[in-house]
Amino acid sequence: MIKEGKIGTIEAISISTIFLITKAFYINPGTVIKLMSTAGWYATEISVLGSMLLFLILYLLMKRFPGNDLVGIFDIAAGKFLGKLFSLIFSGFFVYYSGVNIREFVEMIKAYILPYTPPSAIIILFMGIVIAYAYAGLEGIARMGYLSFIVILVGLVIILVLPFPFYDIDNLFPMGGYGIKASLQYGALRSSAYSEVAFLAFIINSLQGTKNFRKAGLISLAFAGIIIGTIILCSLLAFEYPQGSENLSALFQLSRIVYFSRFFQRVETVFIFIWVMASVITVSITFYLAVSIFCKSFKIPKYRPFLLPFAFCTFLVTLLPENISEIVEKHTNFLRSYSMFIVYFIPILVLIIAIIRGKKGVKEKDEEA
Amino acid sequence: MAEKSNALKKLFSYLIYKDKKQVKEFYIPEADEIRKQQDNCKVTRKDTTPPQEQKSKGIKKPVPISGVKQDKNADTQKADDKTISTDITENMKYIKAKFNASVNKDIVLREFMIAEKYKAFIAYIDGMIDKNVVNNYILRPLLNGEKFKGKDEECQLDFILQSVLETNQLKKITKHSDVVFDMLSGNTLLYVNGCNYYISNETKGFPARGVEKPVIEGVIAGAQEAFNESLKTNITLVRKIIKNHNLTTEYIKLGERNQNLCAIMYINGMTNPAIVDEVKRRLKGIDIDINMGDGMIEQLIEDNTFSIVPTILSTERPDRTAAHIVEGRVAIFSDGVPFAKVVPVTLSALIHSPEDAYMRFPYGTLLRWIRLLGMFFATLLPGLYIAITNFHQEMIPTELLIAIAKAKENVPFPTILEVVLMEVSFELIREAGIRIPGIVGNTLGIIGALILGQAAVQANIVSPVLIIVVAITGLGNFAVPNFELALGIRLLRFGFIIFGVLLGFYGIVALVMLLGIYLVSQKSFGVPLLATIAPRTTRSNDLLIRYPIWKQERRPDLLNTLDRSRQPEISRKWTQENPNYSHDRVGEDD
Repeated sequence: MIKEGKIGTIEAISISTIFLITKAFYINPGTVIKLMSTAGWYATEISVLGSMLLFLILYLLMKRFPGNDLVGIFDIAAGKFLGKLFSLIFSGFFVYYSGVNIREFVEMIKAYILPYTPPSAIIILFMGIVIAYAYAGLEGIARMGYLSFIVILVGLVIILVLPFPFYDIDNLFPMGGYGIKASLQYGALRSSAYSEVAFLAFIINSLQGTKNFRKAGLISLAFAGIIIGTIILCSLLAFEYPQGSENLSALFQLSRIVYFSRFFQRVETVFIFIWVMASVITVSITFYLAVSIFCKSFKIPKYRPFLLPFAFCTFLVTLLPENISEIVEKHTNFLRSYSMFIVYFIPILVLIIAIIRGKKGVKEKDEEA
Repeated sequence: MAEKSNALKKLFSYLIYKDKKQVKEFYIPEADEIRKQQDNCKVTRKDTTPPQEQKSKGIKKPVPISGVKQDKNADTQKADDKTISTDITENMKYIKAKFNASVNKDIVLREFMIAEKYKAFIAYIDGMIDKNVVNNYILRPLLNGEKFKGKDEECQLDFILQSVLETNQLKKITKHSDVVFDMLSGNTLLYVNGCNYYISNETKGFPARGVEKPVIEGVIAGAQEAFNESLKTNITLVRKIIKNHNLTTEYIKLGERNQNLCAIMYINGMTNPAIVDEVKRRLKGIDIDINMGDGMIEQLIEDNTFSIVPTILSTERPDRTAAHIVEGRVAIFSDGVPFAKVVPVTLSALIHSPEDAYMRFPYGTLLRWIRLLGMFFATLLPGLYIAITNFHQEMIPTELLIAIAKAKENVPFPTILEVVLMEVSFELIREAGIRIPGIVGNTLGIIGALILGQAAVQANIVSPVLIIVVAITGLGNFAVPNFELALGIRLLRFGFIIFGVLLGFYGIVALVMLLGIYLVSQKSFGVPLLATIAPRTTRSNDLLIRYPIWKQERRPDLLNTLDRSRQPEISRKWTQENPNYSHDRVGEDD
């Protein structure tokens, strides 16, 4: 099996939170505002709660098979064939996730800061970094994730606090948005936007115990809920909901409007810095997971030789969408609204199969101790 | 007439072809050729040289002491690499052969009779020893028969060892390899006939520099001593600071040809023994021709040869070395180099300066942050300047943008060319400044930079804003307290310039992220280079903010020392007590 090393709970919380909040740098806040208008900033917490609930069901599955990660559990509970199939679905899903994320990144970087640079140059550099991260392994990603998390938090505080002269509390009213029904419906559906936290189940052996798994998952979900909620809130306060729903990146727009004097204005630099950081960490995690899940499911001891082939596949995915509107309409919409059907429902299905078949993991002595 | 013919000859000589005078040229023969020649010589010598006796026929030579009263029938063992013979002639022959004494005139073998009874000789290398010690404290007592009166015949070397020789360090040596090494190290060897061991006397007396001020790690507050080239002096300087009976020094020889002596120092019972073992393992596992000191050792024992940042701390300050040893690290010294290497280290140790600890904590912290700022400038400033001016002009505040644009108006080159031009000339000045002799060096470096900058601006080759950028970058680089780290940063700066010019801010952040993952993956003797932050360990009170000395209660967590605690929770016990001369202000009558 792959040697993944150990990562601390705080490092796990950091990477998980970054993974969850990276979408807030992109179209996500805009979409939420579009769907739920002024109710978006608190309705997103419904999604968090929904995701927490599903995560706890996932936790039940992990508790049932202590000492195994999700790939191992698939094999034990659903049998070798079905188990491998599920694992491969996840591996493919993460390749897709990486590809779409990179493309979204490239489109935005082209739109905002590098209009004349060929997209392939941007993609190749980005892929290079991601391969380096995956090569360094989970420990390296987690350590870098923790470092980046601190920087990202500081950057977010700067971007969200500095435009305060433009904040107008009246923009939040009417508080109900499009009504309770719409809020609940989209809130529940968009639990998918917080479903990434399930990735922790694949690296549970590095987390040193299922309790740390639960702790890291719930805390990072809460963090992500607060951070994304605040970003949506600030976006609504500054732009009102019609304009807010049209922003490609709410955070970028917020960083642009900062103006204190002729000398101190526009902090896009801060935005670019934390945005690239968050994107690199997120795509590194998904890319690493895609490779490691593949290797784990076929019990391949070394994952590094697979980095280049997987990078090629990911590169192919980045070329799938034709333009930015296709990414937003189709791909990210699918990821944020329906990904939970893969991420959460497959494990739940496996849990049900395990209960029906009466499969249960052996409790490890260390775990009990 | 003769003059005429000479002139004619000369005239003809210009016209007639002459053979060039054959000159034999020198060449270096192949090693095989030399060996063949030597073999041939041996064979012919055997054939032609007449026996010694024949040659000296009829000539009476003074008999050497070692030849006096030689028992011709005695069955003496031959001296070779493994055994020391009990016969003085054999041993002398061995040493002469070993050191090529017939041609190698540095080797001195002095034969004499101890108290007119025992045949003996001393051997040393001329120039490596202190002649006073040899004359007054070895030869004089030995030649003086007073001490030997009343001693029986059998007593030889043991008695000499205990009661006669007046040098401070003596030891018996039973191996010829040690005999050779001790002689090479500047000790004087004494052999007395009939023994199968030598006595090595500590007589090292080669010239060495005194203890001087640190050259590259100068501080305003704190000790002003630096290591010198003598290994013993360096170890003593550390011992002088750490007066602890557990402070241990172990020696390891390195280098097949020059057998350079290395020492490792640590506090036994506190430093994690695994670190000591690993350092010894790596040092003993080196098989190299010549060891020129710790700079070479560093390259041979470091975890990653291609690391941009150093993973071993190099210092010329005994106090800094001592502080690290007490924290639970291991120091490596090498003979002939005024530096010590400390392992394992983290990046934070490389950006700390000994001054931080000597100053009160607000000042120490301030200095540390200034240094961090310097590092930031040194690494990123030119890259950021290029990225922003080339790609993201909208990010510059309008007035500053106008100022930059105005300054650049007359410059015909693109920004990248300007930056490269200035950076390269700055690097040139810096490199040349080291070699410009003496007092001129420093001034010329600064003046050169100023004049070059000024002239470049006036000639409209570079914009004045860029001069400021390059100057701040250079200053920031000098603020980095570790020379090797500063070199690494210089290298990285060019990387950031390239990424900045190709992909703007995105490129810069991309390289920052690459550098990040590279740094978190580096290790120094098993300790992650960014430890305490990534991976997280127990909080350190001496990282970015230097807490007051009395708050630093624990040793660095990542070193897993056997004794974690540095000092008790309350190290300033006097704050808990009343002063001896105190009075209660509350109950006082006015």
